[in-house]
Amino acid sequence: MQWKPEPPRAQQPLPTEPYDRWVSPEGECMAEFHRATAGILIRFPKQVDFLLSPNEDGPEFSIAGWPSPESDSKTAINLYHNAIEPILGNHSGGLFLHGSAVQIEDDSCAASGAAAIAFLGLSRGGKTTLAGSLARVGHPFLTEDVIDLRLEEGRYWLQPKRSKLRLFADSARFLLGSDTVIEDAETKQDVEAGETLPFADISVPLRQIYILGTDHAAALSIKRFSMQEALSALMPHSFILDVEDRERLRAHFARMADLSQDVECYALDFTRDYADLPRVVAAILDQYRSR
Amino acid sequence: MQLTDRFTVSQDVVAREVGGELVLLDLASGQYFGLDSVGGRIWELLSERPYELSELCDCIEAEFDAPREQIEADLIALAAQLCEQELIEAEAA
Repeated sequence: MQWKPEPPRAQQPLPTEPYDRWVSPEGECMAEFHRATAGILIRFPKQVDFLLSPNEDGPEFSIAGWPSPESDSKTAINLYHNAIEPILGNHSGGLFLHGSAVQIEDDSCAASGAAAIAFLGLSRGGKTTLAGSLARVGHPFLTEDVIDLRLEEGRYWLQPKRSKLRLFADSARFLLGSDTVIEDAETKQDVEAGETLPFADISVPLRQIYILGTDHAAALSIKRFSMQEALSALMPHSFILDVEDRERLRAHFARMADLSQDVECYALDFTRDYADLPRVVAAILDQYRSR
Repeated sequence: MQLTDRFTVSQDVVAREVGGELVLLDLASGQYFGLDSVGGRIWELLSERPYELSELCDCIEAEFDAPREQIEADLIALAAQLCEQELIEAEAA
């Protein structure tokens, strides 16, 4: 059954201090986590309040979400899929990371004939545009914001998500053409997959992870992380519901440690300049093929 | 710091061997730390029960090829670092 948001409601001040926050590199609060009488309230300021209420039977939590009046139900649904689902997935022992991914032909993957490469990074770090750029040159995207991994037969299989990219106006025009019609230049727009931006709807093994640097003026560089470096670089891109739940954090750390040993991880730096993206894409493909 | 000082690992730290080295995550601060093979062995011992530094020196001396004076000096330096980062805690005598 498809999740649906509740009617809009204003975000009233909360009586509790948040026990956790997601903060952007610029210091902007992206989300606050509060303990409420009825469960855990996750507030995305000026966007949506989600209440995760514990269940006695069935799924661990019931989820209700109220878009704020200045937001809309579409934003609530996007946040449900791109934040709440992966948070709950990790809470239940899954392996979800914040990132995009594309499929690459790879004969060494006998079962699938293709593999996935993933791009992890902070919000507005260029993950989706990079995935779109690879899709545009024939490497279909698998997901734009959530990496969902299932460990089967010793491999991490990356699950395809929704067949749409959420793009700001400048990225949409870069990927689809300067005459692309944009409804709202200030917010991300849903762009459905198609001939220009193909989507792959089958799970494939994850072969490499690129973690995008935060210096948007950095020169192009791809450098392999040691396994130890990879573990600490991967962890911040997890979705964690309760940072005070030590047992679950320990278990998640162990799963991430396994991932860091089984999948090659690279630091990817590049200048965020649309004109330079073809060179970045070529460098990623060269690096992948020469590994 | 004395060799008779006794330490235990913080309950806020989670450790995992990755690629032959131990990676520590301090759950309270979110910071990561790496320990080499000797440091990892010391962490392993301290995870079992509280140890005096002199007892740890005995174990390391038995398992690694290094002079006692060097082991004591290195262990005191490591314990001081781990204490400063609140990764281990001194036990009351």
